[in-house]
Amino acid sequence: MKKDKLKIGIYELTGCAGDALLILDCEDEIINIFHAADIQSFLMAKSDNIDGALDVALVEGSVSTEKDLKELLDIRKRAKVLVAIGLCASVGGNQAAFLNPREWEENLKKVYGRTEMTHTKPLHSKPLNAYVKVDYYLPGCPIDREQFLSTLTRLLDGHPPELHRFPVCVECKWRENDCLLNRGILCLGPLTAAGCRAVCPSHNLPCVGCWGPAEEANHTAEYQLLLDKGFDREMILRKMSTFSGTGIADFAARIRGEKK
Amino acid sequence: MKTISISHLARVEGAGGVTATIDGQVVTDVKFIINEGPRLFERLTIGKTPEEDLNIVPRICAICTLSHRFAALRALEKALAIKEPAKVSLLRELMHLGEMIESHSLHVYLLALPDYLGYPNAIAMASKYGFEAKVGLEMKQFGNHIMKTLSGRFVHGENPVLGAFGRYPTRDELVFIKNRAVQFLPFALRTVQLMCELPYPEIPESDTLFICCHPANGQFGFMGDKVILSNGELIDAQEYKKVTNEFIVSHSYCKRSQYDGKPYSVGALARINNLGERLEGEAGRAFKKYYNARWKRNPLFNNAAQALEILYSFERIPQVIEEALNMPDPEPVAWGRDTGKGVGAVEAPRGLLFHAYDISAGRIAHTDIVTPTAQNAEDIERYCFIAAQTLLKKGEEDKIKDRMDLVIRAFDPCISCSAHMVQVKQAPNGDWKNRLKELASGGDVVFVGLGREDRSDDAAGLELARLLRERGSKDVWLAEELSGDSAPTDGARPLVFLDAVDFGEKPGKICLLPMRYVLWNSSLSHRLAALTGLPLDSKRLLEAHLLGIQPASIAQGDPISAEVREALNGVLEILGN
Repeated sequence: MKKDKLKIGIYELTGCAGDALLILDCEDEIINIFHAADIQSFLMAKSDNIDGALDVALVEGSVSTEKDLKELLDIRKRAKVLVAIGLCASVGGNQAAFLNPREWEENLKKVYGRTEMTHTKPLHSKPLNAYVKVDYYLPGCPIDREQFLSTLTRLLDGHPPELHRFPVCVECKWRENDCLLNRGILCLGPLTAAGCRAVCPSHNLPCVGCWGPAEEANHTAEYQLLLDKGFDREMILRKMSTFSGTGIADFAARIRGEKK
Repeated sequence: MKTISISHLARVEGAGGVTATIDGQVVTDVKFIINEGPRLFERLTIGKTPEEDLNIVPRICAICTLSHRFAALRALEKALAIKEPAKVSLLRELMHLGEMIESHSLHVYLLALPDYLGYPNAIAMASKYGFEAKVGLEMKQFGNHIMKTLSGRFVHGENPVLGAFGRYPTRDELVFIKNRAVQFLPFALRTVQLMCELPYPEIPESDTLFICCHPANGQFGFMGDKVILSNGELIDAQEYKKVTNEFIVSHSYCKRSQYDGKPYSVGALARINNLGERLEGEAGRAFKKYYNARWKRNPLFNNAAQALEILYSFERIPQVIEEALNMPDPEPVAWGRDTGKGVGAVEAPRGLLFHAYDISAGRIAHTDIVTPTAQNAEDIERYCFIAAQTLLKKGEEDKIKDRMDLVIRAFDPCISCSAHMVQVKQAPNGDWKNRLKELASGGDVVFVGLGREDRSDDAAGLELARLLRERGSKDVWLAEELSGDSAPTDGARPLVFLDAVDFGEKPGKICLLPMRYVLWNSSLSHRLAALTGLPLDSKRLLEAHLLGIQPASIAQGDPISAEVREALNGVLEILGN
């Protein structure tokens, strides 16, 4: 008996559209993806989109307006499985770097002044799990094509995706790179989810944390290690919170709350 | 009244839309809406180091990621007095050419061409146009390959840094790119032929101002320290605010730009219109063969311009690599200072991009970023209006939605940097009443009556002004009373012109229109002749409204018709209380 193709929807909330673009970037495989799955909605790629029941919804971007929120709640209702794709959907990303709502509001006013927005109310940017249950997280800024393809294939076959739980350092060792921390360069590899194949350290550049926190990350130990190495406290916290959004909120709040 | 709405603009990068409102024979409102929420990038960079800024700002947009990085590098290096070595300049040009090829081939083949060939997407198009879809994908893949080689990743690569690259590409990597670029030339030529010979629809066509970077070396290219306007003006990039004049509209988180109070266009079409004469080789020959006056009036030719730029890029790559191969990998360059200001201008695939920074003691103190889609937003609205109004007038209302969709997509908006949606809606009956009330709620309205006496209904505007005065309204003017010394000066108060306007409607029908639509509407713009002598600046005029009343007759000597008389009473009723 021929199995029905899984119904899949790819959605973009507020973000850089990089994860959807990366799916388009799977040039060789994209035609196969369109054959293997029933792509119900993918705004960047097609105009005949349908909003119906879904087996899998892939959602990128963070919730940054009331419209985003309404769309996310609707997608959650229609989808059996919801996968957050990319950093913004998973932990909030750059735009969620203002951890304090008041700070966010002040900055919003500085950019847009007092203009009343008529089309949709802005919200302090948050990842998907601030509002709905997320079944799987595909990290990355943007996501990695191999990881995306393997995740999609496993979902199409009815299996849960298998993602790396370890940090960038593991991949960096696999590539036999010199440790940048040993050279006195502030690298966030020990805290950051793997999957990028340690691309920045392999280019002689420090990891900036753009995949968000690794599952096994020990922020407290890393913070202490960096302090011991003589890095400035504010600089460490600033670098840690640039990409990790709410993924680092608790840690950052605790450290900032402690006396110097 | 009716609204045509494209609520989710498909096949563009990001989330947004456009809504057109139709009242009988008149388009009364067009809004280009960006649904992306505010991301506050300009504020996120404050207090960061220049290196951290480079981690953050490319994330504004995935498809222009390297253009953002490039613009930021140019601005930061200017501020920090860093002069990048010649090899770094060449490799940056190469990565930028890769992004141009990637973005343009994605847009031309996968996003725009399905429209012109009548398919919902490129996959469906591939069944009959398999060759085109395949070539498009391969070119895009090659562009991605260049970007990955130079930047480290397909998207958001961190390899290009201040004054240097983290890792320099190997000789083999560069030779591979050079050889592949040469192999692609026939396909680039075919792309130009395909896109330049498409039968682009004649609606909308209208003149505009084009702005792009001005390469100092006299050649075609995608960056410069100055920008060139299609009127011949050159403006230093450091004075970019003279060009962009940003302002905020309430229906979008994307800021808007106008030059001299008017919308302008940036992008591939701007570059070809302003600099196309500079193209050499096959691209130069193709320019001479295909370029004509319509390219200056019709935004759809942006797709043809993109094809020319794809060809240019494939011709330029081997030259760049040839030069770079002879240079050793340079040593890192030190900062010249840690405090300073700098503006960087580059051409992103979809147009002019500015990054401006103030750096104080090694930390970013102020950031301003002006994206191409933000600059195009006003012209996108204007061309959508012209398309909708022209088609409506021709009785082809059913085509409005698809045409607006085509226009927006032709601009190649990168909506995340600032859209998914085209909507056409009919205004509810008497919509003008609500809108007039809304205007009046924004402060005491200043009315100016226009028209000709003794010409029956053509005197309606003058008559209405007189009636308003009789009823005690204070700020009411007749056009003839306005002079240099005596004119409504308070720019904050709403200004409404009253006049008889032939919309092709039933006599007595009233329409309230933003003045800029009158200006953009060729069948109404003669009304503006009456306004040119008035002592009002162009900005005040563009922000004003026109309350138009459809005349029954404009015959000499006749009195005002019963229909128009009734309409005037209707206006007085709204304003009376």
